[in-house]
Amino acid sequence: MSLLIGAMTIGFILSLLALGVYLSFRIFAFPDITAEGSITLGAAVTATLLVKGYGPLAATAAGFVAGLAAGTVTGLLYTRFHINGLLAGILVMTALYSINLHIMGKSNLPLVNLPTVASEAERAGVRLLGRDAVELLGWQVSARDLSVLAAVAAAIAVLGVLLYVFLGTNLGTAMRATGDNVQMIRALGVNDGAMITLGLALSNGLIALSGGVLAQYQGFTDVQMGIGMVVWGLASVIIGEALVGTRQLGYAITGAILGSLLFRLLVAVALRWGLNPNDLKLITAGFVFLALVLPGMLARLAARRVRHA
Amino acid sequence: MLEVRSISKTFNPGTPNEVRSLQGVDLEIEDGSFVMVIGTNGSGKSTLLNAVAGTFLVDSGTIRLENRDVTRWPEHRRAQFMGRVFQNPFSGTSPALSIAENLALAARRGRRRGLGWALPGRLRAGMRDAVRRLNMGLEDRLDNAIGSLSGGQRQALTLLMATWLKPRLLLLDEHTAALDPKSADQVIQLSEEIIARDRLTALMVTHSMHQAAGLGDRLIMMHRGRVIHDFRGPEKRRLRAGDLLARFEEVRRAEQLDEAAAAMLERVYV
Repeated sequence: MSLLIGAMTIGFILSLLALGVYLSFRIFAFPDITAEGSITLGAAVTATLLVKGYGPLAATAAGFVAGLAAGTVTGLLYTRFHINGLLAGILVMTALYSINLHIMGKSNLPLVNLPTVASEAERAGVRLLGRDAVELLGWQVSARDLSVLAAVAAAIAVLGVLLYVFLGTNLGTAMRATGDNVQMIRALGVNDGAMITLGLALSNGLIALSGGVLAQYQGFTDVQMGIGMVVWGLASVIIGEALVGTRQLGYAITGAILGSLLFRLLVAVALRWGLNPNDLKLITAGFVFLALVLPGMLARLAARRVRHA
Repeated sequence: MLEVRSISKTFNPGTPNEVRSLQGVDLEIEDGSFVMVIGTNGSGKSTLLNAVAGTFLVDSGTIRLENRDVTRWPEHRRAQFMGRVFQNPFSGTSPALSIAENLALAARRGRRRGLGWALPGRLRAGMRDAVRRLNMGLEDRLDNAIGSLSGGQRQALTLLMATWLKPRLLLLDEHTAALDPKSADQVIQLSEEIIARDRLTALMVTHSMHQAAGLGDRLIMMHRGRVIHDFRGPEKRRLRAGDLLARFEEVRRAEQLDEAAAAMLERVYV
């Protein structure tokens, strides 16, 4: 049970990554690799500030702002300097590797015995429940684990609603249309370059926030923690789309969160069954490949069957 | 209100694919006039429209709109003065967004877009009325994605969007060429109605001699990146499709095209 709670907590934390990837890949159709650097950037900034004695909320917010900046740089490389989108992301990601090392001062930064958003949630939860263990569906569950999960879930729900509301504003609607039809949005007087830059900033801000919270939950930041994250986020988005069955805005946001949750649960179960953790990224990449290719192949097969009938 | 002074544009200069699309075009359009633009294929009529809209920057010459020099302005900045309908019915709308969301985007053309809700109730009510006037039964489908509509419906909505905020200049780029005849008629009728009702200044490129002869109060004919004829007032009113064909015939003779090309011209333009 505690394994399940842990997987769900990480799933919720990484759903911010999924939302960021949803923004860049789905709304702007922009393959943004910056994410691999910005998730570590968020973790590095947050962890370093915590070590320096800043409060957990301030440190987490600073991580988010750092992500905004990283996304802005990618956006400017793409829109102002007309660098290919994929390459713009790779450049920023590569640069961030050095920047992250500079921020952290070393390649791994532990956060033992420091107040973090996770430890604050634990403390508040234990005080609220008044004991150390709770019975849940017949299992004894640590009150600390449960309160972290509840806090993270509540925070994600709020952020998800905020994102939904934002994408329904004049600015957010213009952003969605930019990804859909650039010719039209220019003719309606919108600076498409500014929209893409803002979208990438927001996307990487969310991803950095995810990294900052993840670092506090797992108790350390590692400079390598971003590797493979884009594919994980993409896998979550794809699972989410399969779950909700539509790309309509509200459903898609809910789907990305649920997808991330389900993805982490699947990973936890697979690891429990003895999957070699080293194979995790290979299997995820294979899964995303299949998810991208299968729908088209099935449609072709169905079309052939109709023709033969 | 629109003043185009000797603008030129060459695409792919210095390469085998060099195309001198505009070669010193002069054009002045007064407020409230409805100007038709016709020309042979590759004559630069759509290029002229795109130059005015700012899709690209011209190599030389100036473009003035509303007494402002907009020659170096980017497309999105010029959009505050202009409404546009494209040839491709899929170009003017965002397929993933709903009808209402598309109209909401048009309702802020050229204005600041902040954190206000995109679809307030007032706007929605206005949308229903405006969409009902299209007579396409779309007023009950405001929340449907535009991608599910036909080309004719999308083009009618694009026209509605382009004129939602009264534009100083309406640019119509062969906006019925890709539609079936019935939808084309509907969209043309709608264009006429809106232009007359709002007394819009409009520039319309067309392939159809009948549209060119029957619509508007002025007609310019382009060939090889230049304006070769400019018919106004009574002269324009007397103009029939056959006269236009005769003018094209003159151009043909001047160019000494062979009979096969003439037959092709006839097929394409009649």
